[in-house]
Amino acid sequence: MRLLLVEDNVALADELSAGLQKLGYAVDWLTDGRDAAYQGAVEPYDLIILDLGLPGLSGLEVLAQWRAAAISTPVLILTARSSWSERIDGLKAGADDYLTKPFHQEELYLRVQALLRRSHGFSNQSDLSAAGLRLDEARQMVHSQGQAIELTGAEFRLLRYFMLHQGQVLSKSHLAEHLYDGETERDSNVLEVHVNHLRRKLGRAVIETRRGQGYRFTGAGVPQ
Amino acid sequence: MHSIQRQLTFSLAMLLIVMGLLLAQAGLWIVDRGLRQHMQDNLQSQAESLLSALVKGTEGIELNSRHHDAVFLKPFSGHYFIIEFNQQRWRSRSLWDFELPSVEHLGFSEQLKPGPEQQQLLMYQGAYRRYTTDIKVTVAHDYSPVLASFKQAQIIGAGLGLLALLLTLLLQRQLVRRALKPLEQTRVQIEQLQQGQRSLLEQDTPLELQPLVRQVNRLLVHTEETLQRSRKGLGNLGHALKTPLAVLMSLLQREELQRQPELSAILQEQLEFIEQRITRELTRARLSGEALPGAFFDCAEELPGLFQLINRVHGEVLTLDWHAAAGLRLPWERDDMLEMLGNLLDNACKWADSRVELSIEQRGAAYCVCIDDDGPGIAESQREQVQRRGSRLDEQSVGHGLGLGIVRDIVETLQGTLQLLDSPLGGLRVEICLRPCSA
Repeated sequence: MRLLLVEDNVALADELSAGLQKLGYAVDWLTDGRDAAYQGAVEPYDLIILDLGLPGLSGLEVLAQWRAAAISTPVLILTARSSWSERIDGLKAGADDYLTKPFHQEELYLRVQALLRRSHGFSNQSDLSAAGLRLDEARQMVHSQGQAIELTGAEFRLLRYFMLHQGQVLSKSHLAEHLYDGETERDSNVLEVHVNHLRRKLGRAVIETRRGQGYRFTGAGVPQ
Repeated sequence: MHSIQRQLTFSLAMLLIVMGLLLAQAGLWIVDRGLRQHMQDNLQSQAESLLSALVKGTEGIELNSRHHDAVFLKPFSGHYFIIEFNQQRWRSRSLWDFELPSVEHLGFSEQLKPGPEQQQLLMYQGAYRRYTTDIKVTVAHDYSPVLASFKQAQIIGAGLGLLALLLTLLLQRQLVRRALKPLEQTRVQIEQLQQGQRSLLEQDTPLELQPLVRQVNRLLVHTEETLQRSRKGLGNLGHALKTPLAVLMSLLQREELQRQPELSAILQEQLEFIEQRITRELTRARLSGEALPGAFFDCAEELPGLFQLINRVHGEVLTLDWHAAAGLRLPWERDDMLEMLGNLLDNACKWADSRVELSIEQRGAAYCVCIDDDGPGIAESQREQVQRRGSRLDEQSVGHGLGLGIVRDIVETLQGTLQLLDSPLGGLRVEICLRPCSA
């Protein structure tokens, strides 16, 4: 999962970036509204956390530009503007959620999680479950047939992405784009290694390889 | 209260009455004078014709009765004479048993003298010399029929005058009303302004009203701009204060601080207190109150957005409903209303088990907002404490906390009333009644 964090307060952005990365998200950070408007439209983000009081271009204008360009990436507005009319205006501008500062980090992480699930059609679910697997996002473990299976950070990120996109064919470059932030070197061999690790832990047929196309999470082989 | 219409009517009526009385009285006086003059001439010629009717007969001077009028024969006819010479005194038969009042001097007497049968007499006394005898002739004429007809004329005149006065006043009322019509239109527009049915006054008014209307409009625009500016400033201030707070709060999650649970608990408590204080004060400062008369809140337009937001905040497990008459507009500023309703709903949703209902209705001049939930409610004994002025809701464990405190601030600013009641849904009902300032 790759997130864009647009926040002009360096200290806050540092804290949030670190916290989000710990939860297995790849985070790109921008401070200027104009940069955000451009990069949010070009890069394939899974979710954007947007402050409203930005230098360059206000957050609401940035959001309006994205929505006008038919970019439907879920956006969570993170702002000090807490009045109800401003919240309504934010939602009307196309935000998917609205969190006011100051906030508890836990609250933000839960909202991000819920928004990601909702945008992939998993609404009203406390855990991410797909094809007989239940992902515990807090402890970064997966449950299969009542059995808890430990995952490394990289495996967790990969499995979460697969589970949110069940049945879709995902190319290696697509996976790399969504699992690593803009500054990490993308090595497709590393991805192959992680896929193999997952297969070893969950069963070979869980992820099928489509030659020349990529991978597809089927969930097959996991006893239902 | 001071009314232009009433003042105009009053002064015109006074003017008309004074002028009318003066004119009528002057007219009567002129006619009276003319008539008296005429009658005096008559009296004088009568006296002279009486004198010429005196003839020298066999027994001295005699009155030739053929030569004087028959009116002197009929009793109390109103025409009388007395002729005196050489200790003789002749009275006209018309005097009958009445003695003419004495006259002080020759010529006309200025005052009317009392005559028989309530007659009022004009008198003339002439002294002549004929047949070598001094002859004094006194003639009198009843003036009371003239006076009676004057009185009649006065009554008729007063009636006519009164009628004319009424007609004039009615006409004047119409004229004034027509002349003041633009003023009335402006008054109606200002009323609409206060009910939130318009945001500016119509510029199309007579020349005299133009400066007033222009000034009012300029003031409205200025107020709105000031409000927007101050809200923007407050938003920036909030941003500037809350972002560092957010940094501090996320620092609390650091392991170094987590290892000091006591310290981080105190920090967290104090940070939350600062946050609540800032939120409450900024919210209060953002309120426009009655500052913008043209502002309004369109229920059907705004409530769906608000409910969508509430739904999103509280997850879609609660059943939320709102009832408001179609086209209902509340004559208050949109942000104020959203803030009040948002906090009320948010609060109700925190405590509700499954449903929250909002209803807005007009009761006479007031607008009442009811919010019901099916949560645990507030015990009757605690309600008073919650409602008491100045009680720090945000520090109490009553539950319906900060949100209700902000709502109370808003209700106080708008000079409304807030009541906590039992809800038919089983939980708490918060009822707020607001009155527009124009009512």
